[in-house]
Parts: sequence; C-alpha cells; structure tokens
Amino acid sequence: MDLDFAYSFKNPQLYGNWLMDVNPLNKFNFCAVMAAVGFILPYWWIGYAMMAGYLVLAAIAGKFGPFFKMFYKVFLLVGAILFLMRAMFTEGTTILFSWGNIHVTVESIFYGLRVAGTVVAFCGAVILFYNITPMRDLMYSLERIGVSHETSYICLASMQAITDLGESSKVIMDSQKARGIETEGGLISRMKAFIPIIGPLVLGAISNTEEKSIAMDARAFSAPVKHTFLRELRKTPAAEKAAIILIDIALVAVIVGRIIWL
Amino acid sequence: MSFITLQDVSYKYPLAKTFALKHVDLSFEKGKFYGIIGQNGAGKTTLCNLVRGLVPHFYGGSLTGKTIIDGTDVKKWDTDQLATQIGYVFQNPFTQISGVKETVFEEIALGLENLGIPKDEMIERVIRVCKLLKIEDLIKRDPNALSGGQRQRVAFAAIIAMDSDTLVIDEPTSQLDPEGTADVFAIIQLLKEQGKTVLLVEHKIDLLAEYADEIVVLEKAQVAFQGPAQEVLQNPSLLEHGAQIPQVALLGSKLKEKGIGLAHIPITQKDAIAAIEERLGGES
Repeated sequence: MDLDFAYSFKNPQLYGNWLMDVNPLNKFNFCAVMAAVGFILPYWWIGYAMMAGYLVLAAIAGKFGPFFKMFYKVFLLVGAILFLMRAMFTEGTTILFSWGNIHVTVESIFYGLRVAGTVVAFCGAVILFYNITPMRDLMYSLERIGVSHETSYICLASMQAITDLGESSKVIMDSQKARGIETEGGLISRMKAFIPIIGPLVLGAISNTEEKSIAMDARAFSAPVKHTFLRELRKTPAAEKAAIILIDIALVAVIVGRIIWL
Repeated sequence: MSFITLQDVSYKYPLAKTFALKHVDLSFEKGKFYGIIGQNGAGKTTLCNLVRGLVPHFYGGSLTGKTIIDGTDVKKWDTDQLATQIGYVFQNPFTQISGVKETVFEEIALGLENLGIPKDEMIERVIRVCKLLKIEDLIKRDPNALSGGQRQRVAFAAIIAMDSDTLVIDEPTSQLDPEGTADVFAIIQLLKEQGKTVLLVEHKIDLLAEYADEIVVLEKAQVAFQGPAQEVLQNPSLLEHGAQIPQVALLGSKLKEKGIGLAHIPITQKDAIAAIEERLGGES
C-alpha cells in the first residue's frame, strides 16, 4: 500500500501551484471583482485587457489548455454575435459603410467592442474560476463557513450525475440498437430514437437516486454529529487575505470613482 | 438474548397488492452469523430493509406487527441514529459509490467523516480496512472508474470501516469472481470472530454452509425454515421451497436413500470428507 499517499491526508492538501492553492472563496472573490469591473469601467478595451489577464492566470495555474478550449468558443460565439448586433444596429454619426438600412459607424463599432468585451470578460471570469477551482475544494471551503454538507453533497453529486447520465444514455442507446431501434442516421431517425432512450434514462436515474440515498444513509450521512474532514486545505496565509482585502477596496474605489466621475 | 426481534411482522410496499413480508416471526442474537436464503422475490431484501430501518421510514408502506431493534421499536428509531448501529451493504455496486470523492481512500473515509471520527484515527481505520479487503492497490484510483466487483469491495470496505456492531449484507458477492467471493466470506468470518452480528443474504449456499451459524429460509414473503445451519441445510425438503442445499448435503441424502448413509448428512466439504473417511474406515 502507498502509505505516503494515505498519510498525506494528515497535512493540508496542496497542488504545488500558488494560484491553485489560493483559497477557493478568495478565487471566487477575485473573479467576481474582475467580472464586475468590466461592467463598471466605461472603456472599450477593459474587457480585452481582462481576457489577456485571464489567459496569463490560466497559464500560471497550469490550466491554459482547458481554459482556452472553453473560452475561445464563448469568445467566438457570444463575442462575435454581440459585436455584430451592436455594430450593425447602434446609431452613430461617423458612418464607415452602409448595407441597405444597416449603417456601421465608428461609434457603433466601439460600442460593439465594449459590449462584447464586457460580456465575454464576464464569461471569462466564470470559466477561469471553474478551471482553477476544483469543485470539491470550493464545497469544502463553503462547508467550513457554515454551508450544510447536504448542499455540498448535492452540488458535487450533480456534477457526477452529468457524467453518469451520459454513460447511461450510451448503454441504453446500445441496448435499443440491439433491439433493432434505429438510433443513427438523419434527423427524423434520431428524433424517433429519442423516446425509447429518454424513458429508460429518466426511470433509471430516479431508481439510482433512490439507491444512492440509501447508500448515503448507510454511510451515516445525516448522523447527528459534527462532521470531520479527511482532506483539508491549508489555512489562508495572511498575505493572501491582505491581497483580497486590497482587491475589494480597489473595487469599492472604482465604484465610488465611477459615481463621482459620472 | 435477541438483538433484533420480529413478531408477526407483515409489510406491503406502497401501491403493492401483495405482501413483501407476511406474518414473519424471527429473532437474531448478538454475535451470530445469519444466512438468509430464498428465491428472488421471497422477501430477503425487504427483510434487510426492515432491519436497517428503511422500512417503513424510507419506503413508507404498511407495516404491522412488532420489529424490535436493540429494545426499541423500529418505528421509533431515528434512521440516522440506526445507521451508526447497523451497517448496510447492498446489491448494486454502481449506486453505492458516493460519486463525490476522487480517490478510493477518500471514499472509504466518507462514512467516518460523517461520524465525526478524528482524522488520525480515520486514516488508520481506512488503512486497516484496505488491507483487510485487499484493496491496497486501489486507494489512489477514482471510485467512479472502478469495475463492478471493485466498487462492491470499496462499498464493503466503507461500511466495515464504520465499525458497526451489526452488519446487514445483501448479496455482496453478486459481482465478484470466486477469489473475491472467498475473500469476502473470510472477512465476514473475521467480523464474526470480532463479535459482530451479521445478516447475510446470499445465494452461494456452499459458502453459507461453511460460515453461517443459523439459516433463515424465506419463501413467498414468509419464513419457511429457521434454525442452526447444520440442521436446516441438510433438509432436502428445502429444494421444494425454492432454496438450495449444499452439494455435499445432497450427496449425503442420496447415499442415505441408497442405504449407504453416512453417520450424519454433511453440509460442508470438510465435514463430508470426514464423514466419508469415517464410513470407509468403518467398512474396511
């Protein structure tokens, strides 16, 4: 047996990466501030600067690949649509070119860039948080500040349920194929296959939920005692706490500045 | 003194037309190993659910008669409290994994976390149970990526780690290979030696014959037989009640019919070898 692994739980669990080891609630705080700043500051380039920052942070956390894989889709899809809609339909005075009733102006382009940048930066903050914060760490931190372990379990189990349902649907699809039901081909064939797949999938999920709750009951899930934790995170260093306080103060300053500036 | 007593217990699941248990009288003593056998649908799992308090608290339905667990009626037991007294391992290995832990080691510790066991003790208990169940190689694996048999062992380990005095085990070996099955029975024997009460639903009758102190035979929601394993399992009329008897007991009965009976009908291989040797020795 790997006793080093077993006894590693005696110490706080570390990733060996300073950003990954930041307290999940502080990561949330930081990402929430970043998301808010994009909406508060009126500059078109703010969102894009933040996106560049997110890429750097994701790279520092060793999560550049997974972050970029999700982020570029949002950037291309949400960003492009928002930009085009705003650029084409926002009024302005300096017309760059026209296409029928659509007039693209310098003002509409900058407005489109700002709206797209702000929304995509907001999405980027969420994606960054998701990628640099393991869900179990977040739930551990929330439990530590008083969130019930039932809530924590539901959140974590829901994430796993998505994977489980995906696997179940493949198994059901194979079973239905074996019974001669067409599950591939054109849109009509796929739509026809949907009903014989969704029924067993939903019923199976309900049945599994019942058994899962019995299994959790057998693990004394609701035992009337104070729970302990095998896996614990480190205590938040003073410097990290100070940094987060400064970030929050900066946000307040930005909000106040914006109000005064307006 | 009996730890669990059922007096004229009948139970029907909600919306069910037939009884899952009917006029059942049983008693289970502390420190004994009970084997529960019977055909599918005979009421074995319902009996487990009743003893574990899931009937009627979780499933609802109509329960009549008295079910006394450690001096208190099951209806008055708080199921959360009962969970700390009676461990439960059931058939489906795929739903017994919590789905929220990333390693087997953490999965086994989940129940201990819920019981508020201090971390150092928790680690030692998990190490001990992993060695006991021979799953040391799995401790770093993702429990959601294990095979059915491996998951069943992990679920078993998780319950054993909680160190309940009584264990209700519903077909734990249904997903295991012969070696894994033998390991599980060896563990159950160890639990028995530690003074635990074990209620085991199992179809592998030859293994039950080897380990169980008493056998309960259920048939169509009722108790057909109950008594010491040696007494119950040598009775060929079990076959008429949808239960099996050990191969060696069947052989002993056939020999008896042919007039070449052994000193007694054996129920285990070891017992059979001794009886046959005795018989051959007597003839020579």
